[in-house]
Amino acid sequence: MPKRASTSSGRTHRTRRPQRHKDVLHRQGGHRRHDFKCVSCKLDVSLDAPGTAHRNHCPNCLASLHVDRRIPGDRAAACRGRMEALSMSVRPDGEWMIIHQCQSCDEISANRIAGDDNALALVRLVMKPLRDTSIAHRMLLQLGPEPHVRDIATRGTGTSAAGLGPALVQLRPTDA
Amino acid sequence: MSSTDKTPSDSPSTVLAGSFTCAWCGLTVSAVAGDGTRRNHCPSCLHSQHVLDHVEGGPSQCQSRMAPIAVAVLRTGDWMVIHRCIRCNELTSNPICTDDNQLILMRMAVRPLAQPPFPLEAFGDL
Repeated sequence: MPKRASTSSGRTHRTRRPQRHKDVLHRQGGHRRHDFKCVSCKLDVSLDAPGTAHRNHCPNCLASLHVDRRIPGDRAAACRGRMEALSMSVRPDGEWMIIHQCQSCDEISANRIAGDDNALALVRLVMKPLRDTSIAHRMLLQLGPEPHVRDIATRGTGTSAAGLGPALVQLRPTDA
Repeated sequence: MSSTDKTPSDSPSTVLAGSFTCAWCGLTVSAVAGDGTRRNHCPSCLHSQHVLDHVEGGPSQCQSRMAPIAVAVLRTGDWMVIHRCIRCNELTSNPICTDDNQLILMRMAVRPLAQPPFPLEAFGDL
């Protein structure tokens, strides 16, 4: 067996033709130099995203990588830790921003959502604070003076956030 | 320069020891909350002040106002307020206190649902 293996390998070595010349370059500077692989779900992601020129997170699982320090794109951070989506913020013009937090150094950053981001993951992120109704319930009791609000609050005990919908609609932004 | 562990005493918004004046609404707040934890934001309007540099570490030279932009929920269920400095855009997260304004907290939590970038009707079927 070893003898035969050695002969076959010798024959392949003798008859092996030189490798074809490769036009495409997969390494740095090649045609995929703008792509990245998600650290969390291993999806290959292109940087060409609809709706944004600064994609920095995976459209599937919203995870990012800690490479920037103060200015987005400076690539000055030595951390290279995984950044998980922490919460959602809204700009005054209505744009959604994902707040990322680094899992190794707790640094926080914000990035606009892209047009092809996973809508279910985005909505799950938004609904995270509303899943626990105790704070919403406490807030409605604090609002107090209007009897119909208090009525909704007492009715809403032990129900899901959907039961609080009519009450939340009545909240108007104040001066701040 | 004598300084406390939280805010430099030469800051104009720090007049009394153990208390600070809110940079946004002007409310004078004690730096220790009712349950003994230190607070760094105004319980009324949730605004804070940029006194710590979280990228480099140590005190920050910015001293600008930090506006609350989002709430985050930890795995433990505790809520955090995400602040953003209006001058240098640095982001910080701080735990909420029990006497924080629940209306502003809930307003920040439901704010994304007021202007969704895609229709939410499809999620009713899930």
